[in-house]
Amino acid sequence: MSEELKWMRLDNAAKIFPAIIRRNWNNVFRVSAVLTEPVDPEILQSAVEAVIPRFPSMAVRLRRGMFWYYLEQVPHAPQVRADGSYPMIQMNHQELRTCAFRILYYKNRVAAEFFHALTDGTGGMIFLKTLVAAYLSLRYDLKIQPGFGVLDLREPPRREELEDSFQRFAGTVAMSRKESNAYHLKGVPEPEGFRNLITGVVDTQQLKALAHQYKATVTAFLAAVMTETLIALQKERGGKQKSVKITIPVNLRRLFGSQTLRNFALTVNPGVDPRLGDYDLQELCTIIGRQLAIEVTPKLMASRIAANVNPEQRLIMKVMPLFVKNLAMRSVYRIVGESKGSLNISNLGFQKLPETMCPYVTRLDFIIGVQATYHNNCSVASYGNATTINMIRNIKESELERRFFSRLVELGLPVAIESNQRPLARR
Amino acid sequence: MYCVRCGVRLSDSEKVCPLCGTEVFHPRLRQPEAEPPFPAFQGQEFQPNPGGIRLIVTLSMLLAAMLCIVVDVSLHNHVLWAGYAAGAIGLIYVVGVLPGWFRKPNPVVFVPLGFLALGCYLLYIDLATGGRWFLSFAFPLVGIVGLLTEAVVTLCYYLRRGRLYVFGGAFLLLGGFMMLFELFAVITFGGKMFRWSLYPTGVFSAIGVFLLLVATIRPLRRVMHRLFFV
Repeated sequence: MSEELKWMRLDNAAKIFPAIIRRNWNNVFRVSAVLTEPVDPEILQSAVEAVIPRFPSMAVRLRRGMFWYYLEQVPHAPQVRADGSYPMIQMNHQELRTCAFRILYYKNRVAAEFFHALTDGTGGMIFLKTLVAAYLSLRYDLKIQPGFGVLDLREPPRREELEDSFQRFAGTVAMSRKESNAYHLKGVPEPEGFRNLITGVVDTQQLKALAHQYKATVTAFLAAVMTETLIALQKERGGKQKSVKITIPVNLRRLFGSQTLRNFALTVNPGVDPRLGDYDLQELCTIIGRQLAIEVTPKLMASRIAANVNPEQRLIMKVMPLFVKNLAMRSVYRIVGESKGSLNISNLGFQKLPETMCPYVTRLDFIIGVQATYHNNCSVASYGNATTINMIRNIKESELERRFFSRLVELGLPVAIESNQRPLARR
Repeated sequence: MYCVRCGVRLSDSEKVCPLCGTEVFHPRLRQPEAEPPFPAFQGQEFQPNPGGIRLIVTLSMLLAAMLCIVVDVSLHNHVLWAGYAAGAIGLIYVVGVLPGWFRKPNPVVFVPLGFLALGCYLLYIDLATGGRWFLSFAFPLVGIVGLLTEAVVTLCYYLRRGRLYVFGGAFLLLGGFMMLFELFAVITFGGKMFRWSLYPTGVFSAIGVFLLLVATIRPLRRVMHRLFFV
């Protein structure tokens, strides 16, 4: 199979990402695992070489065709590298042309960073788990049973893993994408492309209990706390009040029973309009929870997929030269792409690992980058008894993070904080 | 330790609360040392892709050149002055922007290209003004200067040592060239020979001879190095 698959088309959701790359921004995300002992780069390199034939849709680079971008398998595994001072250092065109993902290490941590056109968070996490499993089996001579996201390296890649599920599950009726614009936080840009990352670690059981107290899921609860924080910030800063909406990516694999390792997620934007009155946290939890319940159904999602898939099926779109498509996609994205949500909360959910691996892995993280037009983003993953909430920003002000985490503490949830902040002289 | 303002527990690597900037301090407790979650910042960690800027420069220069021609034609019904402006923009582009499109532009290739563009531009001016000075004046001068520059650039690019010999020789040739300059000027525009060219020839030749002397006499080279090092 991997012999046949020398190149592949981008999936429906991936098509936008190469078109909107900017000089100092593009859409990259990161998954990482913290191990019990320092990472050995040579063993990690061997593990990468062992793993990439199993992931022909991810071990790729981005190339340009006449009419579309396409993904081409990399001829050999990329060299593992030492981590930088912040996650997701800009992947420029040249790097994407060589290899569109990176494997990084720092002390006890292994990280994989993917250009979003290759896969989404779920796919990235499966790659990371398989990589860590391969690393641990080489390092400690373990026999790790596949499962819980660890793929069997002896079996060839399956057809279902490589499919573009958007094409398969698109509905017949396309839903309108019209929506009101949302409030965006402003700030002073951080120089030199630096990204500030603040990680809050909370106890998973306590977080769940707190969310249940408000009769909400963890994602809806965190979105409600974030909405409350953003409403207060917007009110203080004055000016015209806009809707506060949180963009929440929904993993469609479970909804449609897909096993693809490529992109298969859509976002929904639950939120409230603060001009209608004041909201307390319970109200916000209820509203956001219900909005999610209404939106995230196979029927509605299929019609949303259809709205994305239909335009690319038109002959006129197909034969338009790539640079014209890029211009069009870029301007559409600039106008509507990021205006519907105030920020992302991407929750990868509760992660499990095969039992043999558990004693060697202490933490799993998921970090998404900032958007092109707004400055804060948030991503969540749980493993073992810890849930890590990673808040990234490309501005100096940490006001949103301060209020968000302080609010969690106020609600009775202890939060442990760590960050990659620079010394004061640098800021 | 906990931040007294935010109430969050801070990792031991945090010297200042990343949320509110409050310093982590307790009069009786010493904060243990710990590894930060990311290595220290070492300065800008990525090279921005300059392709976008080059494209903008290219497009704006193209637009400026086209605008000149459109304005000129709509004012005079033919190209009166826009050719000079557009040509100058083209010349600046070939010399200043074109090499930027290549990852490692080789000057041995781009220097003659620049002189070629200059020659074409002068030819255009000659034809447009009916000057009849291109073949007997501009062409040989641009050609000789181009060859001389190309020789210096090529030798400097491919030879590691002997720069003093290269530049000494180049200055001697430049001195000789000054007389040719006057000769072509006399042939094309009339006048008498040797009215000014001997002065620059003398100066350039003296510089050339001096550089060659410095190159050959080692003690002199050491003295010069000590006096003029930067």
